Amino acid sequence: MRIVSIAAAALLAGMTTSLSGGALAQERTVKITGFGAKSGVVRVFGVNSEAAMKAAAEQINKAGGVTLGDGAKAKLSVEFLDDRCNAEEGISVIRRIASTDAFVAIGPTCSNVAESLFGILQKKVGDASDSGLQFPVFADVAAKGGLAAISEWAFRNVPSELEMYKSLFAWLKREHPNLKTIYGGVEKDFAHSNATYGVMKKQAEENGFQVLGTGEWLLNDTTFSTQVREMRRANPEIVAISAHPFTTCGVLREMDRQGVKPKLLIGLTSSSSIETLQGCAKQAEGIIIPTSFAPVTPEAKAAADNVSKQGGSMDLHSAAAYEIMFILKDVIESQKIMAKPDTVQADRNKMRQGLAALKETKGLLGTVGRTNDREAIKPYLYVHAKDGSWQVLHKPSS
Amino acid sequence: MDFYFGLAQVIGVHTLLGLSAYCVLLTGQVSLAQAAFFAIGAYVAAILTVIFKWHLFAALGVSAVVSGLTACAVGFPALRVKGLMLVVATLAFGEAVRLFFFNFTYQIQAGELKIGPHGAEGFRQIRYFPEHGWSTFDVLVFIWLMVAIVMACLWWLDRSRAGAVMRAVGEDEVAAHSSGINVTAVKVSAMTIGGVIAGIGGGIFAHYTTHIEHVQFGVILATFAIAYPILGGLSNVFGTLLAVIFIQGFLIEGLRFLGDWRNLLFGALIVLAMNLRPRGFLDAGGVASLKRMLFAGKESSGA
Repeated sequence: MRIVSIAAAALLAGMTTSLSGGALAQERTVKITGFGAKSGVVRVFGVNSEAAMKAAAEQINKAGGVTLGDGAKAKLSVEFLDDRCNAEEGISVIRRIASTDAFVAIGPTCSNVAESLFGILQKKVGDASDSGLQFPVFADVAAKGGLAAISEWAFRNVPSELEMYKSLFAWLKREHPNLKTIYGGVEKDFAHSNATYGVMKKQAEENGFQVLGTGEWLLNDTTFSTQVREMRRANPEIVAISAHPFTTCGVLREMDRQGVKPKLLIGLTSSSSIETLQGCAKQAEGIIIPTSFAPVTPEAKAAADNVSKQGGSMDLHSAAAYEIMFILKDVIESQKIMAKPDTVQADRNKMRQGLAALKETKGLLGTVGRTNDREAIKPYLYVHAKDGSWQVLHKPSS
Repeated sequence: MDFYFGLAQVIGVHTLLGLSAYCVLLTGQVSLAQAAFFAIGAYVAAILTVIFKWHLFAALGVSAVVSGLTACAVGFPALRVKGLMLVVATLAFGEAVRLFFFNFTYQIQAGELKIGPHGAEGFRQIRYFPEHGWSTFDVLVFIWLMVAIVMACLWWLDRSRAGAVMRAVGEDEVAAHSSGINVTAVKVSAMTIGGVIAGIGGGIFAHYTTHIEHVQFGVILATFAIAYPILGGLSNVFGTLLAVIFIQGFLIEGLRFLGDWRNLLFGALIVLAMNLRPRGFLDAGGVASLKRMLFAGKESSGA
């Protein structure tokens, strides 16, 4: 009887242990927090980033999840916080994320938020005199040039717009030697649009195009008649618009109303999205935009479908968020990140080191190079709006 | 804790912004220019610490003086108009200042980089706090020290003859004028004090956000500036503090977990608060009740 009791107790203890162990194994989850604008006129970028992160997490989890430093398997979960494209809120959000067990964050949407929150990070790793936050942040959308240089804890997976527009204008010069004049339009109060217009204008001039003038408007503007009237007066052969889908469509509709019909239209990278087609497919017909995403590979098509199922749409920005999730999975595994409450700072350091050490990553359009200043060199192509959809116009050899 | 320290920093700086509007509201004027004085303070202080390598305290002193002088200069012509006309005049001034910084570029070469304000792209790398080893807690203590000093000064002002004069002008300008009060001088003084406080607040704001640009100082910030004292009540300085805690601490940060619903609730809760407390969170009746409670507490403990 005693032996039976001991055996029963041992069996019960074993079952309890295995059950609790099994439950623990099932419960192991690594939360990846994203943040960005989910309010205001740029909310669609936050919505798409969240959907892309969730879609990628689902794919990773379906394939077995991630292997942590102690050999345990973990599933990825995604949380997304709204910073309303406001720098103060962005700082609060990153402090909130850094006060948890998180070892990395993905975001933000807006370049002005990235400027501020990269500024509160420690500038140089290991600089004891710098009391900045030691927390890795991987930007998916904020596209203004050179932002990762602000801090060694800042990383970006956004394309180089300088390279894209440099290539585009050189290509335009070759393909359309008869076109000589260009008129610009810029969403002047939006950091990304404004900075990119500087790139467009410089590249246009360097390739021999004559810039006849520039129309300026604000992100929240809804009327563009004055700017378009001046554009009509200049009678340019090419119109280059550096603005997001909302005002790009406003300007294109006004151009249509005033009968401004340039021979060629060029748009901002961020406007190569479904929002532009939903807003003004007819007026945007033919607009050429360089982009680092188009559903032209099997992986890209599948990713776009997965993001769509999560309630978002895939564009160059959400594609970056999607790719980042897979990059993080690889770094978690290669750096043996433990994802435990008592290893938080060590995990953050490992994550930063792992990200900084990357020389190339796998992207949806091919291999993505990584620079020493923590930026991405992404493959890109030119798309144009045709029959209500984005179609590939040209693939540069790069 | 870092997150809560950071949040307390935001509350502190916005309290300074609200207090700058509080001074002007005491005289019965509604000014939408506080965001402009805040912007001037932010740019001046940042230029001095980043480009000229000044100590932060000196930079804040200069930013307070420049903002105060600007407010004084604006006060004379702007305060000749009243009510809605003043709102429009100060709003126009605020937009003019914002557009000035939208076009303002003043950069110098520092090694491989250019530093300083760069028009629409803003002014980055205002990293005085981290570069001088200030922890989040140090910054918090500094900000709240400034808030405490400003609140104490305003508290004293409110209880002085000058405060009584300001409130008299705010209550009935004609009656105050009939009593021999120089109404213009009182209003311009209030505007100047408000400008000084906004200048200090803006200077600190630039340094804890590390990057400033014109869009941060638009109509929304100006609206927040006057919303704080109106929502909090004008009976004393603590009303503004309560309103800032309510808006920044609860509505913006506390409800973040609600996601998209937060923005919807934001407006609804402000409307609700205004309906429940039409004279502000801390009106004269509320203060009297608080005093009675405190007094009763002292009596019972004394017994």
